[in-house]
Amino acid sequence: MKSLNVLPLVILGTVMGAIIGVLLVVLRTLPEEASAQARSIDDLYAAFLLFSGIIFGIVVLVMLVAIFRFRARPNDTRDGSNVHGITWLEVVWTVIPFILVAAVAFVSWPLLNENNVSGAAEKSGQRIHITGYQFGWKYTYLNEDIGIKDSQDLVVPVNVPIGFDITTMDVMHSFWVPAWRMQMGATPAQTNYASATPSKIGEFEIVCAFLCGVGHTQMNSAVEGALVTKVKVVSQADFDKWVADTKAKAAAA
Amino acid sequence: MTAVLRPTLARCLWTTPLFAALAVFVTFACRAIFNMDPVMQENTFLTVAYIFGSIGFIVGIGGMDYWWTWITGGQLDPNDHSQHGAKSWRDYFKFNTDHKVIGIQYIVFTFIMYLVGGLFAEVFRAELAKPGMQSITNGQYNELISSHGTIMIFTFMVPVFAGIGNYVIPLMIGADDMAFPRLNAVSFWLLPLAGMILLSAWAYGSYNTGWTAYPTLQDQSPFGQTLFQIGVIIAGSSSIATAVNFLVTIVAMRAPGMTLFRMPLLCWANLATSALVVAATPFVAGAMFMAMFDREMGTHFFTTAGGGTALAYQHIFWCYSHPAVYIMVLPGFGIISEVIATHARKPVFGYRAVAFSSAGIAVLGFSVWAHHMFASGMQSWLRVPIMFATLLIAVPTGIKIFSWVGTMWGGVIRLTTANLFAIGFIVAFVIGGLSGVMLASVPFDLSITNSYFIVAHFHYVLFGGSVLTVFAGLYHWFPKVTGRMYDEKLGKWHFWITFIALNGTFFPMHYQGLKGMPRRVADYAPEFGWSNTVITISAIILGASTLIFVYNMIHSARHGKPAGANPWGSLTLEWMVSSPPPTFNFPTTPRVIGGPYRYGEEGVKHAVFPDEQPAETEKVGA
Repeated sequence: MKSLNVLPLVILGTVMGAIIGVLLVVLRTLPEEASAQARSIDDLYAAFLLFSGIIFGIVVLVMLVAIFRFRARPNDTRDGSNVHGITWLEVVWTVIPFILVAAVAFVSWPLLNENNVSGAAEKSGQRIHITGYQFGWKYTYLNEDIGIKDSQDLVVPVNVPIGFDITTMDVMHSFWVPAWRMQMGATPAQTNYASATPSKIGEFEIVCAFLCGVGHTQMNSAVEGALVTKVKVVSQADFDKWVADTKAKAAAA
Repeated sequence: MTAVLRPTLARCLWTTPLFAALAVFVTFACRAIFNMDPVMQENTFLTVAYIFGSIGFIVGIGGMDYWWTWITGGQLDPNDHSQHGAKSWRDYFKFNTDHKVIGIQYIVFTFIMYLVGGLFAEVFRAELAKPGMQSITNGQYNELISSHGTIMIFTFMVPVFAGIGNYVIPLMIGADDMAFPRLNAVSFWLLPLAGMILLSAWAYGSYNTGWTAYPTLQDQSPFGQTLFQIGVIIAGSSSIATAVNFLVTIVAMRAPGMTLFRMPLLCWANLATSALVVAATPFVAGAMFMAMFDREMGTHFFTTAGGGTALAYQHIFWCYSHPAVYIMVLPGFGIISEVIATHARKPVFGYRAVAFSSAGIAVLGFSVWAHHMFASGMQSWLRVPIMFATLLIAVPTGIKIFSWVGTMWGGVIRLTTANLFAIGFIVAFVIGGLSGVMLASVPFDLSITNSYFIVAHFHYVLFGGSVLTVFAGLYHWFPKVTGRMYDEKLGKWHFWITFIALNGTFFPMHYQGLKGMPRRVADYAPEFGWSNTVITISAIILGASTLIFVYNMIHSARHGKPAGANPWGSLTLEWMVSSPPPTFNFPTTPRVIGGPYRYGEEGVKHAVFPDEQPAETEKVGA
């Protein structure tokens, strides 16, 4: 039976595809992982690459072999075999993708809740209100003990769950910290919620991901002439010091 | 002298300004009577001038002549075919009711817009070649990307399939023409109108909000944004009218014996697409009207300052614009089925599954719009159901891909240019489809959305997908349309350069997005320097490869080898008539006696003309 000839190709395609997938993972095409959530999303991404590599490998390998094996010679006027379909095979390639996408959905779904640490942020008392404007961000620490309003800098303590209330004064923006794998839009006249637990001390890029006018390009801490600053993740002690300094400065002004 | 009175483009030259001037005068008079302050308001006058000028243009080209005579009780001759068929090249610049003329008008016009849209892309790719700002400003950059997207989607990708369908579908189902030939001609002439309006926006500060034009950013745009809305509404009207025409044509005008399951798969794809257009396009027209009223009439549908909801626009807009991506690819799927079956000399593997998967995609296409809005702050409960629905679309799409590969297996594959494009399409579309599956996963999408990963994904789907299917289709039906063969050697050069350059252009974008480069930016972090240089060089090569195609088409149309009626040995009806087909398509109505892809059966036919042996060789519905 002809279709049986395909089986070794499918296996070979799987292996080749898996190699492509693993290679792409090993090549580390992601920014560093600087939040507790990043790990799980990167694992998801690695799984997707493996899955995508395998499907790509099978489809392309089977097709290329078919093209090579069944190519017409010059002045070849033959027709191909008069096969209109093989029902069991069609059922197989309907059911398997169905199972695969269901698996993708059921793996992704729980992550949504796991990655939402706003409840823990409520307890830790770290809630920050972010207001986007053309072109920048203003940060207000909602915890009254901290009490910093309209800061141009975002400084957060490490390993503490932080909740963000995101809104905008004018047009749609989107608050993206690639190293935290966190993005949430700032939509006019409403407040959106996001959360993350920074896990690494350092400075990380803040990027406006949504076209917001002529300054959109520079609303990215990574570009030349940036209008926004990076997020600083510091130790709890440094954070407390920053809060005290900032307050003293505000009082002096 | 009479040239300016007969329905021609020359008549448009005075009807368009006349209608515009009348509308401006009435508006001015009303403003003066009601003591409005200020009486002279440029934007208001321009808006009415453009809307009524558009009507004047359609009147000028002759779109209303027949109906006007009918309404006013004039003498009409139902057998007057003076506007049907082209006798010289001049007829292509006139109101013509022949579906084959309209098809060519569509294809040529949309292809010109493709070159214009591509040129915009080349300009901003030049800016992006290295980090830092060089030749253009942020503002110009935003205008260029907005025009690129809008022109490509509304005046190329959607209508080019209407063009191919127009030419091929009536022939495929054995009809003399489309069901409503005059409506068909009006649909076409709305399109150059929309194109001119969209391009004329550059005279009024253009529009700089992307092709999506979200409020409240669009409230800040110059007058060009209103022209964007008028242009999109007109292009959408054209699209809806064409879809109604296709629906009625395919449902009601099939030749005797052409049961639904004997239709070539392109007809199935166009049927599904047309249903999608008729149901979805009014949404985008509605969104555009409301946004235009906000801008020009001071309403508050989406302007938050007046109590409107900015997010509502996104819901309404994507309610069309997600189905729109299927509108832009389903007819392409149909083309691929035709091309692969013909050039692999084998029946389409799993015909019914492929036909039903088009219908399945069309139905599911309505339930996934909000996956564009995972990070927009919509109701969070909506995310998971939308994720499931989005992932589910991968199943019917997968069925199609596997079926095409199954069609090739065991065939006798002729690697013509048309077939190469079909094969290239499958490779690129699998990549675009797989990144689509990734993006459907909400947690992953939230970490990456609005980045270059998205740009990579939709260019693989729209360029690697739709554009390659357009090329496959154009090469496949070129002999039918012109009666001559294209140059295979040049065609193959075109394919290989396009295919390699498209991967060079769009593949590195995945990497950029993953690493944190947002979309729609004129400058980027220095770490993306080398990858952007690679992309820009590839983009220039990609642009240049189009010139090979243009040369091949123009040169071969005049000097190619005569093709004969059926150079590919295809079985479907359009290949049973001469190339190019006679003005009224079929000398006698054909009778369909079997399925369209009966390759490998000795001496069988899809259809016969009554003077041939009218033998039923296959059971109805088999």
